[in-house]
Amino acid sequence: MNTSTSTVIDAHKVSRTFNPETIPVLAVDDVHLHLERGEFTALVGPSGSGKTTLLNLLGGLDKPDKGIIHINGVDITKLPANKLIDFRLHNIGFVFQSFNLIPVLTAKENVELIMQLQHRKKTEIAERVKILFHQIGLEDKVNTRPAQLSGGQQQRVAVARALASKPQFVLADEPTANLDSKSAANLLDVMAKLNVEEKITFIFSTHDARVIERARRVITLVDGQIHSDTARVETNVPHEVDKLKL
Amino acid sequence: MNLSLAWRNIWRNRSRSFIILTSVAIGLFAGLFVLGLYAGMMRSRVRTVIDSEVSHIQIHHKNFKDDFDPALVMDENLLKDSLRSVQGIQSIAYRAVTQGMLSTATGSAGVQINGIKPADEVLVSSLNTKIIEGQILNEETKSHLLIGKKLADKLKVKLGSKVVLTFTDQESNMVAGAFRIVGIYQTINAAIDELNIFVNQQTLNTYLGLKQTCHEVAIRLHRDEDVEQVKLTLQSQFPQYVVESWRECSPETDLMVSTLDQYSAIIIVIIMIALAFGIINTMLMSVLERTREIGMLTALGMNRPRVFLLILLETVMLTLVGVPLGLFLSWITLAYFQEVGIDISSFSGAAMSGFGFSSMIFPEFPSSSLLMVMMIVISTALLAAIFPSLKAIKLQPADALRQ
Ligand SMILES: Nc1ncnc2c1ncn2[C@@H]1O[C@H](COP(=O)(O)OP(=O)(O)OP(=O)(O)O)[C@@H](O)[C@H]1O
Ligand SMILES: [Mg+2]
Repeated sequence: MNTSTSTVIDAHKVSRTFNPETIPVLAVDDVHLHLERGEFTALVGPSGSGKTTLLNLLGGLDKPDKGIIHINGVDITKLPANKLIDFRLHNIGFVFQSFNLIPVLTAKENVELIMQLQHRKKTEIAERVKILFHQIGLEDKVNTRPAQLSGGQQQRVAVARALASKPQFVLADEPTANLDSKSAANLLDVMAKLNVEEKITFIFSTHDARVIERARRVITLVDGQIHSDTARVETNVPHEVDKLKL
Repeated sequence: MNLSLAWRNIWRNRSRSFIILTSVAIGLFAGLFVLGLYAGMMRSRVRTVIDSEVSHIQIHHKNFKDDFDPALVMDENLLKDSLRSVQGIQSIAYRAVTQGMLSTATGSAGVQINGIKPADEVLVSSLNTKIIEGQILNEETKSHLLIGKKLADKLKVKLGSKVVLTFTDQESNMVAGAFRIVGIYQTINAAIDELNIFVNQQTLNTYLGLKQTCHEVAIRLHRDEDVEQVKLTLQSQFPQYVVESWRECSPETDLMVSTLDQYSAIIIVIIMIALAFGIINTMLMSVLERTREIGMLTALGMNRPRVFLLILLETVMLTLVGVPLGLFLSWITLAYFQEVGIDISSFSGAAMSGFGFSSMIFPEFPSSSLLMVMMIVISTALLAAIFPSLKAIKLQPADALRQ
């Protein structure tokens, strides 16, 4: 167990089986995973290899049958349901594949909602919203409803929302799957910038080769097991630098 | 934020919100309308009992009502003297009453013979307003008789027909007299019309061998509320007689009035069950449709009480919009029918008059039960919202997001 301040995720021998009674599917099989603060990591693998299942386990949306998951030193597999919801609110940012935003709320309100759930002060919320929309480059869309935003813009708002709670890390399950390549590149630019400038930790799953290219570490899943875990040479350096700085 | 989120959510699916809103409005409307209808029916029934059948209070000799023995008389002069000083009395009718047989050339029927003073009777039971053919008795002509429409039809007699009344006098001797029909009356209570005939009190007393006596005193008061009070006063003044209020003289009416609440409760429960199912159904649909979204909110960190509250709030808001709508609907509808009345004779007229109900119902706005009905509707909506809200908090984020 690693509880040093630079460790964000520490998963140990994690397994998840669906339908154990009928036709068991071993979606995640004995996975060890260690994620440091400031990482920009891609989770790849063929369809059905267990990416979503693993991300759900790491995000506390699902519980493993076996194994332990520490997030920032807290064993989330031991948290009762209501504590877990609260833990997610304060520690984990989520970006989903699509339909991320509440359609009846404007872009700004979607971002504010999270901070209101955290009972933050009005002035603090307003300030942070301003910063976040500047960071995602959508200052002119704050009062727009999701339906009036492009898919790429919606995903950028989703990233802003994920960051609003000041989480330990942001977890994104195929955030670019529904985007054209230009919007996908744009979203990755925003994420990479936040990673470098704000030291935000990202872990995202993807099928897209151009997205994989941007990652500094690539974990490949096959049949629920980690098949390979490679640090990309040219981007490995800033990763190590980050580590040293912290 | 929950408030504005809930408020915006209810306008997402307008037709669905409209269904809930109108079911609440219709539920409230139906509840109030039924209560209004019942209240109107009962009020008119009670009015009929008091104004034209029983009057407020009746006095009889202790055992008179057992078998109408004509010898069980009360001293009319004594009564007159004492009643003069009693507060609250509007008018008094003294009657001779006996039972006998009315015969025509072709048939006969058992009747109750009421010997009346027409001038008094007009004030107490408005007998004059019920004459549909001919005229009311006059004091001078001894052998005139009023007959009910139902009995006249049954015996096939008309105005001017001669009939014979046979009965026993106070010494149990058989007496008979010939009478001419001068008037035919009709009330809304067919049972009364079939049984009662009216002659002059003087005439009947003479046949019965009585003088300065009566069998029945009917008293009209100024105000309905004074009944019990005046009844007590009279009973203490005439311990030898039986003093009864309209409730005792017409126990079936009293029973109807007192069971009214139970009937209304049953009907309201049925309406509320329908309302609850409507709300459960629609809100459940609304929750299921938003499975992904609610799952996402939970994933992001909205806790269960908040999710529960969100769905509950949406229902409450729809209810709160529906309630004034229903109130307004009930108010204008009831106000309208209070003016023009509802004529139910086309589908149940005969049956209603058999029970002494008017076929015209004038419903009234049940202001006294308004608050109660509103509370019932709102709590029904709240209770009904619990099930969909529970469904919403049971959603597992990982499962919900897979949809
Ligand atoms: N709730 C569930 N019930 C049953 N089986 C499930 C469930 N969730 C996932 N699975 C199965 O577990 C395996 C892994 O699924 P998962 O969604 O994690 O794969 P993935 O790598 O995310 O695939 P994709 O690239 O298509 O998103 C698959 O065989 C899937 O059918
Ligand atoms: Mg997946």
